[in-house]
Amino acid sequence: MSGGFFGFNSAFPERRNDSSSQSKPPFPGFQADHVDQAFGIGQGAEEDVAVYTWGQGLDDALRDAHDDFNHETFGVDPRGLGTDFQFAAPKQTAAPSKTSGKPRGPIASTQSRYKPKPVADPFAMSEDDFYSSRVTKSVPKKPVDTKAKPSKLSSAAGGSLWNKPNVAPSQLWGTQPTSVARPEAVAPPGQVAPQTFQRPVGHIKTLEEIEAEMAGIDLEPLTHQPQLPQQPRILSLEEIEREMMTTTPIPPMSQPPPPLPPQPILPPPSLPVQSLLSPPSRPDSTPTVPLPGSGYASGHALLDSIFPQLGATPRPDLPPAHLGPASEPPLPPQPSPEELARLDALRKRVAAKIESMSRYNHTMGSSDKDYITRMQLSQLVTDDPYTSDFYAQVFSAIKRSRLAAEQADEKTAVVQIAPGAALSVSAPTESRFGKMGSKTMQRLSTQVKRLVDSRAAHKKTMDSGRFDGYVFEGRLIFLATLKGALGRVSRSGIAAPRPVLAVPVGSKPEHRPTSALNQTSGVHRPALTRKQVMYALEEMYDLVLELEQLRRTQPSPESDEMKAWDEECQLKVEEIWRRLMVMEPLDVSTPHPFIALLNAVKGQRLMPRVLRHLPHSQALTLLTLLIATYPQLDVIAHAPPPPVADASLLNKMDRVERARREAETDCFLQCVVPGMDMLISTCNLGLVAGLLNICTQKMPNLKQVASTRPGVALFTALLSRAQSLIRVPPADPNNPQPIPGPDPAEVDHWQRTFAYFLHLILPHLPELFPASVAQKAAFGPGAYLLGGEGVGEKESLEMERREAEVWGLAAALAVNAPEEEQTNLVAALRDKILHTVQGARNPVTPPFKAEMRLRNVNMFLHGLGLDASMIE
Amino acid sequence: MEQVAAGTISEPLDLVKLSLGERVFIKLRGDRTLTGNLHAYDAHMNLVLSQVEENIHIVDVGEDGTAAPPRIERRGFEMLFIRGDSVILVSPLLE
Repeated sequence: MSGGFFGFNSAFPERRNDSSSQSKPPFPGFQADHVDQAFGIGQGAEEDVAVYTWGQGLDDALRDAHDDFNHETFGVDPRGLGTDFQFAAPKQTAAPSKTSGKPRGPIASTQSRYKPKPVADPFAMSEDDFYSSRVTKSVPKKPVDTKAKPSKLSSAAGGSLWNKPNVAPSQLWGTQPTSVARPEAVAPPGQVAPQTFQRPVGHIKTLEEIEAEMAGIDLEPLTHQPQLPQQPRILSLEEIEREMMTTTPIPPMSQPPPPLPPQPILPPPSLPVQSLLSPPSRPDSTPTVPLPGSGYASGHALLDSIFPQLGATPRPDLPPAHLGPASEPPLPPQPSPEELARLDALRKRVAAKIESMSRYNHTMGSSDKDYITRMQLSQLVTDDPYTSDFYAQVFSAIKRSRLAAEQADEKTAVVQIAPGAALSVSAPTESRFGKMGSKTMQRLSTQVKRLVDSRAAHKKTMDSGRFDGYVFEGRLIFLATLKGALGRVSRSGIAAPRPVLAVPVGSKPEHRPTSALNQTSGVHRPALTRKQVMYALEEMYDLVLELEQLRRTQPSPESDEMKAWDEECQLKVEEIWRRLMVMEPLDVSTPHPFIALLNAVKGQRLMPRVLRHLPHSQALTLLTLLIATYPQLDVIAHAPPPPVADASLLNKMDRVERARREAETDCFLQCVVPGMDMLISTCNLGLVAGLLNICTQKMPNLKQVASTRPGVALFTALLSRAQSLIRVPPADPNNPQPIPGPDPAEVDHWQRTFAYFLHLILPHLPELFPASVAQKAAFGPGAYLLGGEGVGEKESLEMERREAEVWGLAAALAVNAPEEEQTNLVAALRDKILHTVQGARNPVTPPFKAEMRLRNVNMFLHGLGLDASMIE
Repeated sequence: MEQVAAGTISEPLDLVKLSLGERVFIKLRGDRTLTGNLHAYDAHMNLVLSQVEENIHIVDVGEDGTAAPPRIERRGFEMLFIRGDSVILVSPLLE
């Protein structure tokens, strides 16, 4: 989705609810702790899941070392994963009886997913190669995985193990604006207080800081996996980009090795030793028909012939009690007979299930698997992996940076198949590809490259109409690869003669007929329709994405491409600038087209991303236009109405409408206002005065603007910036040069503008406070409830925060006002101050609320050199 | 502004694109309707929605075959993937 990604509200909230996942682990069958529930009678729904515990029968064949690929299987970071789902793990006490006397059942071939095959698979070209080829190397690499965990995670790990992955994604992208905007948008009263007016001076929050703040706010209640020393935090756009850039793609092979000949069925010399180290995990009691060309089947037959004793494993249908106990190591206390019986029944069910499933064993030979792997991988190959798999790249960048503290492993995000073709790998250090040796990687690359090449060639033949697909068998198979295996819609000629959904890809030509609007002579035009706005925004998103992508591919500064790259960026920025329509005449339409863009939540979210690319002068132009057309903004013109005391007074439509407007306002405060603040903080006094002048001139309904949260934010930012410019900081003892004060003419201009502004706003000042407005709007019994203790704590807190915003504006007015005006200011706010202070001193008021109110009032009073304690 | 005003929709899915990031109403097979924020879609009309409310329209049939008045069951999801083959209709949810 284009809107939410960097707007930081497309949270992955699916499992944010810790408690629910705690009580219901996603894969109960894998945990010894939950094995009872998983296999219990009456849990029919779980039965199919339980099939995946096929490894159960393999007492000694499953070894700790084979945890390495758990994360691929379960999607869980293996370092956080115990071995307690391994029923054969030697010291597991969670389900002691499970390890006692189990038969070695036949193992379905799918087991290779969960447990690597013996290392010395002679058919390294097969898919299983990916799983097995590096096993022996990875075992010594990470002894911690295998040893440290069982004790740590034996029984208590039940829910937490499986919750871990839930923690991460929900934080990556922040949360809904509603939850963030409030604590963020409302500056802590202490900061806005006149003494600390330095905050907006040189330091209006940058996007990064805001993100960091968001992280701070959001992460607090969330627990994190204990393994990682570093708390997860939200990465800023820049950080993510940096991380993405640090990835070094594997250079394309200079000389792809020639296509490999069919593998001779000969065990490599190392086979005996290694297979003794790791007994084959698939003792195969069901006779398999060796498929011609099926490498696995014939290879396995060979293995059996070499090690006949390994092939002679007991039949699975032997009652488990007949086996084992004698040979087992000393057991923990025996479980009760009922438990034994239950486990026995359980085991039988599992055995039966395995039996029924094993019918399908070896229906696919290794060449088949191979074929499918290649086909699937080839679908992932693109000429621009960074763009095509953008989200995967961002995700892996985040994951990498998190892992970076522990492992400084090689960073591979993109596997280059050939120049101009690559596929991206999302899981960073622990990835399957990371485990694969470079040799395997190369072989894979060659194969996929061949496939891609031949597909391209094939496409060409098809396009030229000389398709002879059915003549050769090879061609015929090839057709199958063309039919989008991974959801790609491809047009194929004969198998599907009718073109499927004709989705044009790539750059579509901009066919824009000269608009009839061009002929209209008047300057005024009808406002953009919603559809047009949405269309424009989508195009804008595309442009911004392209530009961001371009910035990521910045060549080295010395190289020749630098200039071309620079120009390209320039062009894109200009295009974006043009599409923003900031330069349209001010009264071209109502709302102004730029404001129309900003009225959509999508457009608000886009704004910070656009602003970082615009040159300063253009950004200032944008700011000027924005302020001049501020009243046209939806968040101003249709500001959320004051809250009512009792939500039941509203009907559903009202509630939805209010919620929508509130959300819009929150989004605006979160996305647009920070950028605005940042720009204002770069203005000089003359400019600030000019902007305030625009406010007074262009806002006929200054009161209406000021009574909205975005309006308050704008005025506060302007006033505080001016104050910080006028107040010359005290001479720095370390820096003897006196800092030049502001230009007297500018100061004069400012004072005149401010006087007029104050004159306009002063009569309305008491009406700006949301609590007063709500009080006024309330009627009937609601009036009693408002401000009383009947209101929910959350609502009243929120109300106090919004009050603080307006007090902040009042304080900004106070510090800017000359002395005689300050008296008027106090007079205008007299009732409000007294009311608030009295409310705070009322013993019925909860202390936190009283404190907040006093702080609010003091924010204003301190600006005048007064304090709430002086009020009787 | 002329450029934007002249923006054209060249294919049906462009209309869906305009609803990206917005709240949409979706009708599904099996007497279900959804409303949610549209995050992503593809040519198969696979959809990703967040903040979803699902309404299942159920008509209970009694022992004697008489149908009870239809009732609606509601469910909420924070994030949902919808397979395209069940989608009947996608429409922007306008106030």
